[in-house]
Amino acid sequence: MTIIHNRPLDDIAETAPTIAGNAFTRAFSGGSLWRLIGMLLLILILGFLTIYPLAMLLYGSLHSTPPGMAGEFNLNGYRSIMTTQNLIVLANTIGISLAKTIPSLTIAVFLAWIVARTDTPFRGTLEVLITLPFFIPPILTAMAWGMLANPQVGVINMVWRWATGATDPLVNIYSYGGVIWHMCQYSIPFLFLFMVDAFRAMDPSLEESSRMCGASRWTTFRKITLLLMLPVLTSSFMLSFIKGIETFESALFFGLPAGIKVITTDIYESINHRATPDYQYATSLSFAIMGLMFLLVIWQWWMLRGKSFQTVTGKGFRPSVMELGPWRWVTFAFCVLFFFITVVLPIGQLMLGSFFRFFGFYTYDMLTLEHYRAVFANSEFWRAVRNTMVLGLLGATATMALGAIVAYISVRTRWRGRNLIDSMAWLPWMMPGMVLGVGFLWAFAMLPGPIPIYGTIWALLLAYIALGTPVSVRVMTGAYHQLSYDLEECSRVHGATWAQTMWRIMVALAWPAFAVGWVLTFFGIMRELSASILLYSVGSETLAVVLMKLWANGNAEQVSVIGLMMMLLVIVFRWVQLSFIKSRISKL
Amino acid sequence: MASVTLENVSRMYGAVTAVDNVNLKIKSGEFVTLLGPSGCGKTTTLRMVAGLEKNTGGRIAIGDNVVSDSDKGYFVPSERRRLGMVFQSYAIWPHMTVFDNVAYPLRIRRRPDTEVRDRVMNALRLVEMEQYAERPSPALSGGQQQRVAIARALVFEPEVLLLDEPLSNLDARLRTQMGDDFRALQQRLKITALYVTHDQAEAMALSDRVVVMHGGKILQVGAPEEIYRRPENRQVAAFFGTPNLLNATVKDCRPNGGQYFKLSVEGQGWSGDCHAATEMPKGADVTVMVRPENLHVRDAGQVNGDLSWSGEVSQAIFRGSHRSIMVKTPAQTLHVEASSLSNVDIGRPVTVAAPVEAAWAVRN
Ligand SMILES: Nc1ncnc2c1ncn2[C@@H]1O[C@H](COP(=O)(O)OP(=O)(O)OP(=O)(O)O)[C@@H](O)[C@H]1O
Ligand SMILES: [Mg+2]
Repeated sequence: MTIIHNRPLDDIAETAPTIAGNAFTRAFSGGSLWRLIGMLLLILILGFLTIYPLAMLLYGSLHSTPPGMAGEFNLNGYRSIMTTQNLIVLANTIGISLAKTIPSLTIAVFLAWIVARTDTPFRGTLEVLITLPFFIPPILTAMAWGMLANPQVGVINMVWRWATGATDPLVNIYSYGGVIWHMCQYSIPFLFLFMVDAFRAMDPSLEESSRMCGASRWTTFRKITLLLMLPVLTSSFMLSFIKGIETFESALFFGLPAGIKVITTDIYESINHRATPDYQYATSLSFAIMGLMFLLVIWQWWMLRGKSFQTVTGKGFRPSVMELGPWRWVTFAFCVLFFFITVVLPIGQLMLGSFFRFFGFYTYDMLTLEHYRAVFANSEFWRAVRNTMVLGLLGATATMALGAIVAYISVRTRWRGRNLIDSMAWLPWMMPGMVLGVGFLWAFAMLPGPIPIYGTIWALLLAYIALGTPVSVRVMTGAYHQLSYDLEECSRVHGATWAQTMWRIMVALAWPAFAVGWVLTFFGIMRELSASILLYSVGSETLAVVLMKLWANGNAEQVSVIGLMMMLLVIVFRWVQLSFIKSRISKL
Repeated sequence: MASVTLENVSRMYGAVTAVDNVNLKIKSGEFVTLLGPSGCGKTTTLRMVAGLEKNTGGRIAIGDNVVSDSDKGYFVPSERRRLGMVFQSYAIWPHMTVFDNVAYPLRIRRRPDTEVRDRVMNALRLVEMEQYAERPSPALSGGQQQRVAIARALVFEPEVLLLDEPLSNLDARLRTQMGDDFRALQQRLKITALYVTHDQAEAMALSDRVVVMHGGKILQVGAPEEIYRRPENRQVAAFFGTPNLLNATVKDCRPNGGQYFKLSVEGQGWSGDCHAATEMPKGADVTVMVRPENLHVRDAGQVNGDLSWSGEVSQAIFRGSHRSIMVKTPAQTLHVEASSLSNVDIGRPVTVAAPVEAAWAVRN
């Protein structure tokens, strides 16, 4: 972008009194003063959202008492995390994440290949079904699986006992296997979404020329396809691994009852489950995990350096589709099975749970609607719905607006400071929701009295914006990269100012991406639990928090009702999003 | 329509000089083409006129108004230069219809709706696209997109029309046709046009004057025929087609009555007469340029030209419209474009001849 004018404002008026244009357009096309103010404002906002909680985290880890109390600086926090017990926690965290990443990646590659490169029937529908689990809040499936695979009263084990006469349960969700199993259900659709376009966009002539050189299909797959996909596979692996370390729900629901601890649940426990919350321990651990994440991100960057995604050019050709013959019904069945296990089973369980008086006792005379009545009569539920909606709408809009601005400045201008804001916006990428939650906990408590954010819904909003910003910047960066500079410059040459060009060309062309990102962010907010559970207080609960509380009270039946409502919401939103994307594609 | 003046215009990218001290005056209503190899600075020059790039040295004026003066730090942004531009990619906004695309420059300037409709339809009629007005713009072929881009660039009656390789995305046949159509339009409306291309034939056919650039500098400015037949130096000579360039020494030099000088030159195993732009001292080394299409192959010993070489045919290639014949002479192998009807045997001794008007000498 070269539409940069570094002259001071008054310069134009002085040398060219005849040139028209009002102060506003002049300011935004040429004024470095306004630009400076804008950039400073942006840096301030991003600083508050990312640097400030980070700094507070560091402060908290070095300070002996909770915010607002007299204390001293010491290294006790870091000393207290250096225990052999925590080594096990660390090993658990890394081990579980690896153990879920490898099978997830394998299955996701297989699914992506089925959908993108074979003639499996109904691939379009299958793609929608396969990706659906990703959009379901993990807390819902966690609760559903808690009921499905409960060693005593879980449906699966009950059916097993009934069918075989055995007395031992078939599966026990409260185990390492259970934690990994639950994480896989999210990793697979996530990785699938991440990779499927790369599979689709691969230039088939690269493979065909290998076949012409005499290589068999299998050799071609190994030597050409896989190697071409290597950059995508590597970054998928790293992403999934990092996400695995950040995961909270799976370990909370299935790990803690079995005594399996990971870092996120350890932080949570040290604040919520001890007689007196050990903030210094929690912040020190948070800071340590951020260090770990930082190393991982550096490693990821190092592994991917110089590797390009050249194969993903994706225009003008159709990838060659492999004809599977009768096997295509096997691949079809595989996809359907995946959908059945990850979506139908949990939904079925929630329905089952919502209509019977007591969870686990499924007989005809136990059928009831009382849980629905109880939920709908519960004012706390409605408040949570309202909170979640308000937070979702406001949060998604604010996050995407921030992302759109940051991405525009870092991609399409050469303004000074653009790298700074880009890195600041990227910072939360390294912070698991739990860690950011702890950071904001301190950050809000340390704010001067007249700014009462702590304990309000705004605390959650700010945390959500911070958590969502890296993704929103990504989405908008991708969108801007696809718009050629010509489109923008052409508008300038034909008389539009910078502001007019922004509005009529850039916004008009980028808003579909904005909308897609908005829905993603909205889903992200609806499912968020780890930061919410630290930052909520009475009156500002979200649906996920209410679910969590009901679950803790053993009220699995009402959990099922609320879970079903949320599920419905997810499916409606997803349907709107998909039909929206479709209409956009057919229009362009 | 206005003139365009570039005075000592330069553009640096870090240490790289993309455009180096360019001086050029484009008259009102004139069609000037920037021509040169890839990376020679054509696009950069055009973009500086457009205001999309800031010149790091020199001044640019459109009509009587200076729009950019690097010494005074004065710069008028693009949108206030009243220009029309056709981009190589056409930059047709995909979210608008054809009509909205063309109407954009008018709507930006808040023209009343009736005026917008009239002028847009006029502009579309000019490029014969009026029946496509309500089409969504992605549903257009390349040629149609190009015409919409021209209509959009013309609709506001810009001071100057800038075009960056507007035909390079089209297939060969369409390219010629669109080029001719555009030239006719330009002459009818007396548009001042600055046009960038790297296609020699396109530059020749369209322009009033051609600017040959190389390495950010202007090598020569002149009418197409001037540049083709009477290049100022060896570089320009070599740029068009595949001319025969022969080293020779001046034996004699005299004015030929017109604006040129007539030289007698002698090369290795040949001698004869040719023209040159300037007076050359006796004994000076020169390069004599003879275009293949102006050479004739005759039977050996038969001399009826002002310049002649004897040698033997080493290669003959049938090319449809003509036949390329390579003749090996003591000086060098000459490339001759003969009629496709002529048939010569490989190895036959021949004489190659050219009239004095066809041979042009430039100083080495
Ligand atoms: N933004 C830039 N940064 C650095 N160098 C640049 C930049 N833009 C152009 N250049 C350099 O300036 C020189 C001229 O570029 P320009 O685009 O004007 O060439 P061109 O004559 O239009 O070539 P082509 O026919 O390939 O389009 C090139 O050497 C190019 O590498
Ligand atoms: Mg160019």
